[in-house]
Parts: sequence; C-alpha cells; structure tokens
Amino acid sequence: MSTLLVWVGVVLSLVLAASAGWHTLRNRPVILRQLLAGAVVEAYLLIQLVVVLVHPAGGGAASGLFWTYVVTQLFVLPLAATWAFAERTRWSSVVLLLGALVVAFLQLRLLQVWGQA
Amino acid sequence: MRPTSQGPGRALVTVYGVLALAACARGGFEVTTKFHEAPLSYSLALFAGVVYAVATFALATNRRWLAWPTVLTEMVGVLVVGTLSFVAPGLFRLHASVWSWFGVEYLLVPLVLPFLGVTWLRRSGRAAADEATRGAAPDEAAPGAGPAA
Repeated sequence: MSTLLVWVGVVLSLVLAASAGWHTLRNRPVILRQLLAGAVVEAYLLIQLVVVLVHPAGGGAASGLFWTYVVTQLFVLPLAATWAFAERTRWSSVVLLLGALVVAFLQLRLLQVWGQA
Repeated sequence: MRPTSQGPGRALVTVYGVLALAACARGGFEVTTKFHEAPLSYSLALFAGVVYAVATFALATNRRWLAWPTVLTEMVGVLVVGTLSFVAPGLFRLHASVWSWFGVEYLLVPLVLPFLGVTWLRRSGRAAADEATRGAAPDEAAPGAGPAA
C-alpha cells in the first residue's frame, strides 16, 4: 500500500476534523456543507479500497487484520454524520470531530498493519 | 426529562460507538481467525465488544434500565481485566482485548469511559428527578437519583 494513498486520506480527514473543531469552538452545529465534505472523505476511502483490491502488492494484502481495518473504517463517517446531524447544538460538531479524528487514526493504523504483515 | 442521547450525551454515545466498533472488529477478527489459540481470551475480547455495542444502543435510545447494567459491567470488566493483565500476565493473552492494561492501547479511553457513563446517567437522571419534583420537595430529588432513576 502506497504511503501517499494513506497520507492523502489523513489530510482529508484532518481538514474535516478542523472544520468540525472550528464549529465546536464557535458553538455551532454541523452544517450540510460539512456533510458533503464528509462524503468526499468517504468516497476517497472507497477509492482506496478499490485501489488495494486491484493492486494488492505488498505483504499486507494477505493479512486478515488489514482487511478488517479497511472495511471497519468505512462505517465511521456515515454513522457519525447521521448521528451528528440529528443534534442541533455544538455537541453535533463534537460528534463529527470525533468521527473525523478516528478516520485519520485508522488511516495511520492501516500503514502500520500493512508493514507488520 | 433529559434524554441520555442529547447534548453531551451525543458525544458520549459517539465514543461508545467507536469503542463498540473497535472492540467488535478486534474480537470478531480474533474469534474467526485464531479462536483455537486462546478461546477464553478471544471470547472475552468479543464479549467486550458486545457490552460496548449494547451500551451504545441503550444510551442512544434512552433506555436507562439497560444502560445502567451495561455501563457497570463495562466498568467491572475494564477494572478486572486491566488488573489481571498486570498481576497475572500469563492468565490471558495480553493483547487480546480493549480492556488489557486498562485499555492503554486505546489512550485509556476504556478506563475513563464507564466513569463518564455513570456520571452522565446520574446527571441526566437527576435533571429528570428535579423536573418531576419541582416545587414539591426539591431537597429530596438528589438522593433518589441514583441507579434507580
């Protein structure tokens, strides 16, 4: 798995996290534009999945642990976004912030798991 | 009545959900790929995931009667397994569950979370009791707001 493929994902999810963090500080809930940004990050994760499926070069592709991470990370943002959007206080933004940070963390773990296998 | 799923509870449920996902994925992976190596440890790992999943569901849907026992089970689980991984490291596979070493691999979130959960259940429950007894006997609201609330 290429390092670039992961780092782009880390940057995208951190941008989303920064946006949600800003809204938390300004005491504002999640807005539609942030959900669209979340959809972009999610789309990127799906592209990642396809790339790894098509080009399983390297040791990690053989590991079940790696695939557990690749599949698990897909659930985080859709669930967090749905859960966040139903709340109309600043806690809405906290939810999206947590979700985005978890995705960034899982992206980095992907790189580690790939190396371990 | 203050629902457990609103306000700060939104964020709490999110953290519970993340741990449920992490623990179920981990336990599920271990049970399906290498169960025979250490059946007890990997069952425990999956059990932790189920406890978090039930707690997430209970807090998200305002089921206090279900949230209390699961949060307390989680508290006992992390304290017992965390302690055992220090005093009897040979007993379990050390890396088996999110509760090993009090969840240090998960930034100690598994250790802190049940205490946050209990605090939140008490606080949101007390708000409910306050509302119910407002004007009648405000002083008696607090003692009755424990686990029975």
